[in-house]
Amino acid sequence: MTDVTDVTDMTDVTEETDEEPAPTGVDPEGDPLLRTRFALPKRPATFLRRPRLARHLDEALRTPLTLVDGSAGAGKTLLVADWATGLREPVAWLTSDTADQAPGVFWAYLLGALRAARVPVAAEVGCPAEASRVDQRTLIRLAADLERRDHTTVVVLDEFDRVTCTEIARQLQFVLHHAGRGLHLVLVTRTEPLLPLHRYRASGEITEIRDAELAFTTDEAGELLSRHGLHLPASAVEALVERTRGWAAGLRLCALAARRGPDPGTYVKQFEAGHSAVADFLLAEVLDRQPPGTQDLLLRISVLERFCPDLVNALTLRTDAETVLAALHRENAFVHYLGQSWYSLHPLFAEILRAHLRERSPGLEPELRRRAARWLRRSGALREALVQGAAADDWEFTARAVVDDLAIGRLFTGLRSEDLSALFSRMTPEVTGPVPDLVRAARDLGRRDLEHGLTHLRRASQEVAEAAGDGPEPAPVRLSCALLEALAARLTGSPGRAERAAEQARGLWRHVPEQRLDEHPELTALLLTHLGSARLWAGRFEDARTALSAVAGHPGGAVMALPRWEALGHLALIDYLNGWPGRAEHKALAAAGEAERHSLPRRSGSGLGPLVLAAVHVDRDELDEAQALLDDEAVSRPAVEDPVARAGRTVVRGRLLLARGDARAALAAADEPVPADVGSPWAREQSALLASAAHLAQGHPDLARQAVDRMAPHRTACAVEAARVRLAAGRAEEALALIDGLPDGDRPGPAVAVRATLVRAQAAYETGDRGTAHRLVARALLDGRREHLRRPFLEAGPWIRPLLSTGRLRELAGGWLLPGRPVTTAPAGHPGFAVEELSARERDVLHRLADMLSTEEIAADLHVSANTVKTHLKSIYRKLGVSRRAEAVRRAREARLL
Amino acid sequence: MRYEIRVDGQMSETLAKVFPELDHVLMAGQTVLFGRVIDEAHLFGLLSRFRALGLRVVEMRQLPE
Repeated sequence: MTDVTDVTDMTDVTEETDEEPAPTGVDPEGDPLLRTRFALPKRPATFLRRPRLARHLDEALRTPLTLVDGSAGAGKTLLVADWATGLREPVAWLTSDTADQAPGVFWAYLLGALRAARVPVAAEVGCPAEASRVDQRTLIRLAADLERRDHTTVVVLDEFDRVTCTEIARQLQFVLHHAGRGLHLVLVTRTEPLLPLHRYRASGEITEIRDAELAFTTDEAGELLSRHGLHLPASAVEALVERTRGWAAGLRLCALAARRGPDPGTYVKQFEAGHSAVADFLLAEVLDRQPPGTQDLLLRISVLERFCPDLVNALTLRTDAETVLAALHRENAFVHYLGQSWYSLHPLFAEILRAHLRERSPGLEPELRRRAARWLRRSGALREALVQGAAADDWEFTARAVVDDLAIGRLFTGLRSEDLSALFSRMTPEVTGPVPDLVRAARDLGRRDLEHGLTHLRRASQEVAEAAGDGPEPAPVRLSCALLEALAARLTGSPGRAERAAEQARGLWRHVPEQRLDEHPELTALLLTHLGSARLWAGRFEDARTALSAVAGHPGGAVMALPRWEALGHLALIDYLNGWPGRAEHKALAAAGEAERHSLPRRSGSGLGPLVLAAVHVDRDELDEAQALLDDEAVSRPAVEDPVARAGRTVVRGRLLLARGDARAALAAADEPVPADVGSPWAREQSALLASAAHLAQGHPDLARQAVDRMAPHRTACAVEAARVRLAAGRAEEALALIDGLPDGDRPGPAVAVRATLVRAQAAYETGDRGTAHRLVARALLDGRREHLRRPFLEAGPWIRPLLSTGRLRELAGGWLLPGRPVTTAPAGHPGFAVEELSARERDVLHRLADMLSTEEIAADLHVSANTVKTHLKSIYRKLGVSRRAEAVRRAREARLL
Repeated sequence: MRYEIRVDGQMSETLAKVFPELDHVLMAGQTVLFGRVIDEAHLFGLLSRFRALGLRVVEMRQLPE
């Protein structure tokens, strides 16, 4: 350091007083402590700005990545916070947490940090709602969003050493690469991050500030010590720098310890000559020299990561936390100030202080955690409260907190559901009572461990019922019980039980605080989804639709994503079973969109959406697409699932096998049992229809008749199949009678109607009425064309082929069923195919694509990197639903985007 | 696996309790911690705890069984 006065002048203004803007909507889980993780720590009065480092950080803006990598207590965090405060560019700050190891959590919080910094990303980026997963498309869109901006966004990840997940490192690298100049990433860490640093080094894309550079020079150390009121001769400072290796924390602690002693000079000399471990020794010295009240406070807060004066008072049972914390921050000893009255313990000291606490007051730690848990719960920080409660092994409190807050649904849905469930993994069997049993049942059922889940639920239900003697359990307990009952009913295929649970819940709503229900919309949503699923199983489609529509239309963030997605999948299945493939497809795609936006699913399997889409593809004779969906779906299928999903899959798989000509395998699928407490009319019907069709395909109308005649003759789908069987046996009159005898009440959608019309047409054809046959086939073509229902025509039999090859029928079949030009009057393109809005940049790329420019040419033309163009291309392909350039241009012309 | 880890400076008894799984002796200007390490994960966990506590590891070696 050459000019110390210069430094002094600059640091006069370092005490931060300006109010932190309260970030809005940053919180995926309603966690009030979260904003403290987005806050830049404030610099204390004793902070020494070191221009050589600030300059280096400024220069670093030229490289996409800055790594500040040094030992604990080297002054990294305050250095970067000080530098970042003076930047013109927007700065998003995220202090990592050991609980962020899952990619979904990490990215949700990173997106939260961008919102807190008032540079939110576009809604299309989405936000993960499950801990373990982030959708690649979310990362692509995030990178593209950052890249599109006309300024660089600086993202600081502090304490990045806590992130040890290789997947997150790979994803960060991906976003950094594709965001180009739109993102400058600063990693503050004390261990080498898992990014491929050698590659960044080789290409000169990284700036590193490491221990050697972070170490204080003798001049800087002299200045720092005098700020702490310790004025030493240059030789003593030099010796001290040597002893501490210029380590910031060592210098600061030494100053604090020396200043409080009788003779600072001698103290420093003794310390220099000593052989103790620096931080260990100095911390103990500084601690010893604090007033007893401060010592006690420091030891007690070592069980907390972040704290405010009121919380600290709850641990010390005193009232002086505010003054003590302010004084500690002023001295830059032990604590960081995060703004809005919140502090965090300097990471270096937390563990040492905890060691001192255990030594001085053995057994106090659980008590402190219990008190912290209660304070946190009162303040609405449920997650932190649960973490502390679990760490104190206070299971009665922890389980009660979840249930009484109506948060039991959070064990099933939301970003933190797995964490929350894992918290209770240490709960021992000695902990008894209805509430712990409810939590056990929820965890087991959430993992689809039916055997244990049902046992725990039975016990909990009994305990809740028996408690009525000496005062009933409070409404939240009974409501949580009803939710789990509904889930159990859904999983076991027991509609009556689900209705009873829903009935029970209805009686309880008004006995719980309305505000709590509003805070936990997932509770009602999950219950209605389970109820809807059970009703669907029972074949009560309209009642199921009522329950499910309420969920599908409900807004809300991450916790609502899963129920909404499930409800959409069920609604899609209902449409499919009613013969409306277009509507089914629409809802299944909406479910897929929901899944993509929220990086669903993993734990919950892939849901009904892909099954329904596969079924629609089979109806359209797009067999490879159907197969691909089923193969994909098989990968993420949970071991145990509800009977609706089981039966749905069996039907689709069987239909696909049959369409591929494997009637034997289709028959086997039709025979597959679906375990459930109560049978399902539609599952039985679908199996019978499949079996009948498979027998027909094998040339056994008699067996087909056996299969289908057991079914309800008043259902159109059954009557149509029964009529087909008659036709195959050469009994056209009987077939017609079956169809004509249908009541008017059952009005299925086109998938069934087209098949019915074709059966009539065949009957007319075989009784020699060619004119009627012609007219009916024309109607079937008109009805089937809109939905591209090819399968019914392919299954109709050889008689239809000559009809389709000439005249008006050929025209009607052209372009979708047979090769040729469509005679459609509707606009070209896929009906119902909504093109997602392209961004201005994507349009730029698209126009150049149409001009046959190569990726490199487009990049040069738009002054961006080739990788950026590739990102845009991916986005364009996705939005247009294509996979190649030529297709993209064609589809864009159809949609009049060009 | 048994390991011996030397860190710079003499650790206090209080700090040594942060590593209850290891024994320790004080040497000239160093502390030697030694004992059984379960696996690699444990080893790296120990290293990061030393780092977190501001301790400098100067030597680390596996001991013969």
